[in-house]
Amino acid sequence: MLDDVRVLEVSAPETMLAGRMLADLGADVVVVETPAGSPGRRLAPFLDGIPGIERSLTWHALNYNKRGVTLDLLSPDGKALMRDLAMKFDIVIEAASARGTSPLDSIEFAPRTIRCTIAPFVRTGPKREYSATDFTVMAASGAPAMTGDLDRPPLFFPIPQAMMEAGADAAIATLAALIARDRDGLGQRAEVSARIAAMVGSFGQAIVPGSGNPEGKRTQGAMKIAGVQVPSVYECADGFTLITIGFGPVFGQMTQRLAKWAADEGHADSRIGEISWPTFISDLSARKTSPSDLQALVDGLKSLARSKTKAELAESSRRLGLLSSPVMNMKDVAEYVQYRERGLFTPVSVDADREVDAPARFAQFSNYSIEVKRPAPKLSEHSAEIFEAELGLSKTEIQALFVAGAI
Amino acid sequence: MSAPLAGVNVLDLSWVMVGPASGRYLADLCADVIKVESFKRIDPVRTLGPFKDGKTGPERSVSYHNLNAGKRCVAIDIRRPEGREIILRLAKWADVVLESFTPGVLETLQLGYADLKQRNEQIIMASTSLLGQTGPYAKGTSGVGTMGAAMSGATHQIGWPDREPAGPFGPWTDAVTPRFIVASILAALHRRSRTGVGSYIDVSQAEAGIQFMMPAYYEYAANGTIPERRGVAGSPLHAPQGLYPCSGEDRWIAIDASSPAHWEAFRDLIVELHAAKFDTIVGRLRNRAELEAAIAGWTREQDAEAIEHLMQAAGVPAHVVSRSGDFARDVDLREAGHLNKINDPVFGEAEIEGPRFSLDRTSLAPTRRGPRIGEHTNEVLATVLGMSETEIAQLSEAGILA
Repeated sequence: MLDDVRVLEVSAPETMLAGRMLADLGADVVVVETPAGSPGRRLAPFLDGIPGIERSLTWHALNYNKRGVTLDLLSPDGKALMRDLAMKFDIVIEAASARGTSPLDSIEFAPRTIRCTIAPFVRTGPKREYSATDFTVMAASGAPAMTGDLDRPPLFFPIPQAMMEAGADAAIATLAALIARDRDGLGQRAEVSARIAAMVGSFGQAIVPGSGNPEGKRTQGAMKIAGVQVPSVYECADGFTLITIGFGPVFGQMTQRLAKWAADEGHADSRIGEISWPTFISDLSARKTSPSDLQALVDGLKSLARSKTKAELAESSRRLGLLSSPVMNMKDVAEYVQYRERGLFTPVSVDADREVDAPARFAQFSNYSIEVKRPAPKLSEHSAEIFEAELGLSKTEIQALFVAGAI
Repeated sequence: MSAPLAGVNVLDLSWVMVGPASGRYLADLCADVIKVESFKRIDPVRTLGPFKDGKTGPERSVSYHNLNAGKRCVAIDIRRPEGREIILRLAKWADVVLESFTPGVLETLQLGYADLKQRNEQIIMASTSLLGQTGPYAKGTSGVGTMGAAMSGATHQIGWPDREPAGPFGPWTDAVTPRFIVASILAALHRRSRTGVGSYIDVSQAEAGIQFMMPAYYEYAANGTIPERRGVAGSPLHAPQGLYPCSGEDRWIAIDASSPAHWEAFRDLIVELHAAKFDTIVGRLRNRAELEAAIAGWTREQDAEAIEHLMQAAGVPAHVVSRSGDFARDVDLREAGHLNKINDPVFGEAEIEGPRFSLDRTSLAPTRRGPRIGEHTNEVLATVLGMSETEIAQLSEAGILA
């Protein structure tokens, strides 16, 4: 779909998903790394737990479908090569370095070039000079404060997430600028704040005070309904399962089927299956039901879940139409028949003798297919090829640049 | 200069979060987004808080406005033949259609891609659901974003080892998925401008979630290791990197002083960190418990924001673990104009978020409120479909515009 679009990605953790999404959608994406390698190559986990510049699995996962060159953007030669390369490309994606500046700031881009800059905070705002890492940006997103239990510290994803949030929004910002250019031929500068991008996952914490509401608190582990701790995750025979208990005309029907199932299987009193769960909350105030009924349902579900495997529970959930799903670990994800048969995966090599099935097809199209055409580039893998083809450099010139450390 | 999607028409048949949030991105880019709702089946997001001043009501959900800002809304009973015909006529007007019904429902209503394409050969239609439209478990499966999180491997990795997984906050894949939908739609619009070819796009919310979990997926796929929840924030490869308690209730500062340069700046600020055992990375990892305790001892009695400012003045990455109250006075968001006042005829003033990014040449839409149910029904039927007042009145009397 983007087969007429060429992207230069000055590689940083925040640019990686942006470049890869555009490459997946058909763009020709070239990553530009420092001669020492992109910081993305130093992100865990590593192949076999052994670090190395070609062994970062995060790098592999977020850089397939791209080619790669090295350039020292701080040297005059690197800068000149970057300027010349940019003339041949439609889009340049970069992350502002610490304190909001970029080595590209001194380069004058062609009017048709689209330049997208990702910064931790708003580049014109009071926090523009903040030192930041993925971890501190996530802290500022509003999501961790609401994640986990109140008796313990907030929980974070064990995987950097601000770089994913920012990269995905940068892909959108870039494509929006591309569509504007389709109309009038002119490029522009797009800017993404990783913090604002990551705030999507806080589900509107920022709009709570302005709408006249008190602060929320972490209650993830168990919601308290009518004084009863109602968990969302239940232990089962081989892991955990997610079960949502809801009320009202839509979700209450699912709870009804859930309660009947628990009763039918002998994990709850038959009366629990017969209570009108859609109207449970209003019946509570009319004293037709009591919190102990809800407690009995929760206890029944705990017992029911423990007696079954994730797969058994998933099968019943599908059959009964429940708001329940297995809590999948990555092995479950890799093996899930739905993902397999739908065609989510496609193989890509991560090493000379090892392939993984990449869950590459984030969208499926009636007349396009996301394919993995090449694995993530090795450091400087395409430097000679691209400098020769795009800039007309001779073999001697390319060697001279390498010897001088500019590439 | 006109905004990127000025002149692009979007028919938004979706509800709750994923679809509407995708439509919001398009509305921010100045597409004309018409949301289809029904008084008989209101968007369930109208039942989710925060509500203005905590008082519930279908027109009081501020979350609704945050997801539907800048759209127009028609109220139509699409299950009636006349309602269906209105949708088909709107599909002819539309460049893009968004929908998030349980897979199979739109086909049953004869409003699937094939039906819409008959009226508009170039239509770009995006469907989103928990598991997608194809595969053995797709049809008839409905789900919510907590289920997407569970099935993408995210929930399993967040929690304390001695407790059940807690999972990420909220219906997590509802935040992740719109990005993949919008990027796919924009790519399809670009292709269509060159070739005239439309597209059908199918995005599974669970699959979209896996994209943000790729490093963990690769750890299993390449190394055979299943990543587990470890509770404590901060990577085992980075010390010090973590959360430290501050004065006040549930106040935390996130500090990441793990890089050598940041570490030197950081230890200068805290005398307890001058000990030789903390000189090197290996020393800090081996003495991590002591290191973390020393930092926590220093932060415990101090104000979180004061620590943030002190750290930043020294160039050390640190930020308060922001809660909703912090956002209200956050200078970064205020000065960037990310929080914008809306004025709603029902509840008065509230604040919602602005666009997620900025463009320096073509403007983005100013942040507006979301529409009330059916607010633009007459306007849209008259100006978009060219219906007469009599026709509209007949439809209204027949209960189609309800």
